[in-house]
Amino acid sequence: MKESMQFWLGLAVFGCVVAVLPPTLGNEYLIGVALTVFMWLALTPSWCVLSQLTGYVSLGHVVFYGIGAYLVVITWGQWPLWLAIPAAGLVSAVFALVVGGQVLRVRGPYFVILTFGLAELIKFSIMAIESGMGMAARILFGAPDLLVIYWLMVGLAVISVLLLGWVSTSRFGHGLRSLRENEEAAETLGVPVVRYKLAAFVLSAVIPGMVGAVMALRSTYFVVEQVFDPLVSVTVIAMALLGGGDGVRGPIFGALFLACMSELLWAKAPLLYMILLGGILVVFVLLVPNGLVGLFQRFKVRE
Amino acid sequence: MSPLLEIKNITKRFGGLTALSDVSFDVPSGSIVGVMGANGAGKTTLFSLIAGNIAPTEGEIFFNKKSLVGLTPDRICRLGVARTFQIVKPFGGMTVRENLLTSAMFGAHQYQSKTLAADAVDKVLEDVGLTAVSEQISSTLTLSYQKRLEIGRAVATGCRLILLDEVMAGLTPTEVLEMLETIRILREQRELTLLVIEHVMRALMQLCQQIVVLHHGELIAQGSPDEIGNNRLVHQVYLGETL
Repeated sequence: MKESMQFWLGLAVFGCVVAVLPPTLGNEYLIGVALTVFMWLALTPSWCVLSQLTGYVSLGHVVFYGIGAYLVVITWGQWPLWLAIPAAGLVSAVFALVVGGQVLRVRGPYFVILTFGLAELIKFSIMAIESGMGMAARILFGAPDLLVIYWLMVGLAVISVLLLGWVSTSRFGHGLRSLRENEEAAETLGVPVVRYKLAAFVLSAVIPGMVGAVMALRSTYFVVEQVFDPLVSVTVIAMALLGGGDGVRGPIFGALFLACMSELLWAKAPLLYMILLGGILVVFVLLVPNGLVGLFQRFKVRE
Repeated sequence: MSPLLEIKNITKRFGGLTALSDVSFDVPSGSIVGVMGANGAGKTTLFSLIAGNIAPTEGEIFFNKKSLVGLTPDRICRLGVARTFQIVKPFGGMTVRENLLTSAMFGAHQYQSKTLAADAVDKVLEDVGLTAVSEQISSTLTLSYQKRLEIGRAVATGCRLILLDEVMAGLTPTEVLEMLETIRILREQRELTLLVIEHVMRALMQLCQQIVVLHHGELIAQGSPDEIGNNRLVHQVYLGETL
């Protein structure tokens, strides 16, 4: 208990400093970088609510992001933002609720492929709709100031981390972990597995929906392929893997580490950056299978 | 004594294969009933039907006068029926205590937090003999402990009826004796009703007041251990000879 209090306190202090620093310095580039870091800090824990806790690894997390972005874009100029952004989260959640009942019937590699395929299906469907309406791309005029977008994203990252922290330590989370370990045994011991899986799926969809909505305001320019980019799903998984562990720490460390590292490499070695990033991932998978959290624990034990 | 569990004309067909055919019997409240039969006789299928893991083709199952047919396994568990698995299914990555916490929070007890469930779990750990390994990751346990974990998890749900599926298979004679003692204690302290599948005949004869015998999915005999021991049909099926 004491250790987890320390962790949350430390995280709160660290988070405040990191969030306040860029706007204080007033450096637009720095704010942009911090915005990206907070975006990953919002996305990765939300993915973990489903995939880390239930073992249903989703390779289609970007679909919620894309749906959220699309909602803001098509309601642009008609709906105020205080309505459009929560609505983006809600629409993503409803989408998860509708497809979840079917998608969550399959496990393991089948679930991975199915979620990937589903995200692609939605992407190409929206592309067809857009081109049917004669739209190649859309531009949003009068998007809010960068600082407004920045603080919205900080807020989403905080909510996302708190959500995972709560689910992870709750009775609900214990039920999810049980079904991850053995679904049949969990169900026979009273865990309502069908309901719980669906609830986790829906919960994990809300944050990325809103993140997508906010990021659409950031780019002010909407192309379907960009907001449904499978690389977003893959990056989220890479961050969770790098972080490791079975709780809220892994995704935070992983997202911070990979987001900062890729920004740094991109700035210092633009030509080698993808190669170096790939190298880091390979090293982690081979040598540090339990991620950063596992690495810290090993040092702790040694002490 | 009124029956806690009533099996009425249960038939289960898997495609062309009839796993159980028109099986009926009662389990009186507070009793221990044994189920015997060769491999493939339909014993585990019977358990899966009662626990709701699969649905019967025909027939009815009543627990405490409430029909179980069509209910999901988690609802049946919350009503007070718990089963163990013949092929153990521990939550491998969790500790023994965490395994039991799942039962205590989600089974019939419905404790709403780990703190509330802690005392009940400690008691079960002690009664089942798992206290010494309570913080061990369950996939690293020996078979004997894993069988105990299966029982512990079932008991920790707070069930009234417990279905034990070959919890003594693969154990040494000494471990079998210890297990029998554990089951006796659990039953006395918690007023459990037991339905037991067992191949260790000596254990079954000692433990049960009543035994039902399945053969190729049909119920061919039921009665006290003595009656079953002297039953002609049972001898024919098991030994291929008459008395």
